[in-house]
Amino acid sequence: MMKYLIFILLFLINSIVVAEEVNIALEKVHINLRDKHSIERGAKFFATNCMACHTLVYLRYNKIAHQAGITYEKMPINVKSWPYGITPPDLSLEANVRGVDWIYTYLHSFYVDPARPTGVNNLLVPNTAMGGILAAYQGQQILASDTRQSRLIFGHEPQWYDKLELKSSGSMTPQEFDSAITDVVNFLAYAADPYHNEQIKIGYWVIGFLFILFVLAYFLKKAYWKDIHKKYQDKK
Amino acid sequence: MTKKNSLFTWIAARFPVREFTKQHITGYYAPRNFNFWYYFGSFSLLVLLNQIITGIWLAMEYVPTADGAFASVQHIMRDVRYGWLLRFMHTTGASAFFVVVYLHMYRGLIYGSYKKPRELLWLIGMLIYMTLLLEAFTGYVLPWGQMSYWGAAVITSFASAIPYLGKFIMVWLRGDFTISGVTLHRFFSLHVIAVPLVILALVFLHLTALHYVGSNNPDGIDIKEKKDRAGHPLDGIPFHPYYTLKDFMGAIVFLIIFSIILFFAPKMGGFFLEPDNYLPANPLQTPEHIAPVWYMTPFYAILRAIPNKFLGLVAMAAAIALMFVLPWLDRSPVRSIRYKGMLSKIAIVIFVVSFIGLGYLGIQPVSPLRSAMAQLFAASYFLFFLTMPFYTKYEKNKPLPDRVTA
Repeated sequence: MMKYLIFILLFLINSIVVAEEVNIALEKVHINLRDKHSIERGAKFFATNCMACHTLVYLRYNKIAHQAGITYEKMPINVKSWPYGITPPDLSLEANVRGVDWIYTYLHSFYVDPARPTGVNNLLVPNTAMGGILAAYQGQQILASDTRQSRLIFGHEPQWYDKLELKSSGSMTPQEFDSAITDVVNFLAYAADPYHNEQIKIGYWVIGFLFILFVLAYFLKKAYWKDIHKKYQDKK
Repeated sequence: MTKKNSLFTWIAARFPVREFTKQHITGYYAPRNFNFWYYFGSFSLLVLLNQIITGIWLAMEYVPTADGAFASVQHIMRDVRYGWLLRFMHTTGASAFFVVVYLHMYRGLIYGSYKKPRELLWLIGMLIYMTLLLEAFTGYVLPWGQMSYWGAAVITSFASAIPYLGKFIMVWLRGDFTISGVTLHRFFSLHVIAVPLVILALVFLHLTALHYVGSNNPDGIDIKEKKDRAGHPLDGIPFHPYYTLKDFMGAIVFLIIFSIILFFAPKMGGFFLEPDNYLPANPLQTPEHIAPVWYMTPFYAILRAIPNKFLGLVAMAAAIALMFVLPWLDRSPVRSIRYKGMLSKIAIVIFVVSFIGLGYLGIQPVSPLRSAMAQLFAASYFLFFLTMPFYTKYEKNKPLPDRVTA
């Protein structure tokens, strides 16, 4: 019987593997949804840099947009035609679709590629339509020479920093850029599940209440079943 | 006489309240030896209640149109007060429903609860299970995400494998040549009205049949054969207060586990809410990997294990049909696995491994090794049922006890 339950448990906690033709590994990002300041910094960065193209339709984002000087008419949702016919995706739920590690890795792995009309390419999404707007902060990255890649341990997929190197620096140091991107990812995680903190908080209360109720129910049941146990104990 | 009592007397003179309570609650004698497995019937009632109540509130804000559905779900999650809670209760409840129903069915399987005189009870239960699959499927389409859309496309396309009439039936089911807003709207109607009504009616019949034939127990022996002077079974105890209190206690444990998932992992790592379903339905872009939700995957794996689409469909239908005829496949003189022979015990283990194995394979993308494994598990799944008349008849059983144990 226990075996059956364990099977079910293993079966449930196993995560879905989606096959993607990509040859870099995702870098783990450490975000904190309770860090309000990080979310605010991320929102500010997002409003300044991303909102020219990306919508966040399910987040009530007009206020953030207005603070960044974007009026409704100029919002990307009203743009009729985009270059190459590709509408930049709405990002309200991106953290749920792709996961936070994916966004974090994607935003780090742009590199110069003169063959592309935008002048940049991306390791995680080859031939991405997104332009290199982050280069102003991050600096320009180029594909690293083979010597660096050969240092990799065989059998492990490389991280973006194994395959790219910084050619020229941007307005931020690598540490500053990394923390700015972490904030953006944190903001997008918030945008995908804005109720998350409330959910966790209520969860503790509900489960705490149920534990107390269980203790009461347990003793109530025990008190009633005493007769039954006694009745059948005598028979033996 | 108090006022409350006089009202009760007034009603009792006109409606069989006392008789009903006596017959089904205080005077319904259940075997005293119910164990862990006997919780899942009442848990399914609890989850059913949860689905109906949260469903009513979700339907107040949900918009069943192709343009509005996806956004209305986000509206519920973000703008409706505690809307996220209602929706997570409903989505977690859907998966929990199948967890408890599968465990409830497994209980019936190991203790022979389908055997005479409970064949009809089992059949009604199987009908509930089928209706529940339909309810889950129609509900899964409603958020109108990528998986909703393509899941509906794949499942309704099964109909097209039927010879001659297939295409016609598929279009009739969809109400359109592809999955569209028309399909969504009719699935909404089925999900909130037609199927729940059928489920409630079947649950009523299931309980009526149960109370008529009486509950089985882990020993699988008839408690009605030995009665005391008052005519009550010697090994039976009144459902209320004994099992109402025991089930109440069990229900709290269930709710604790339910709440842990609901509040801390409602997406269950992509099993209860899939990442692709956070993308709005797009008829022009097929997701890389389409799989039904976990509770349908054992049958989906059987379908895929067979290279021919029509034969795969037949095999899938047969896999379910065999569960219906279980009462007539088991020819053992004893009900419970406790007293059945070694062959039956081995067979149950093989069945459980096959069913879970198929469920796992149904989630994974196809590969040659996985297909071979699915074929193996499908074969052992069918053999469990098809060889049952033989191993149950010729194996050596243990002697049945006189009275229920412990």
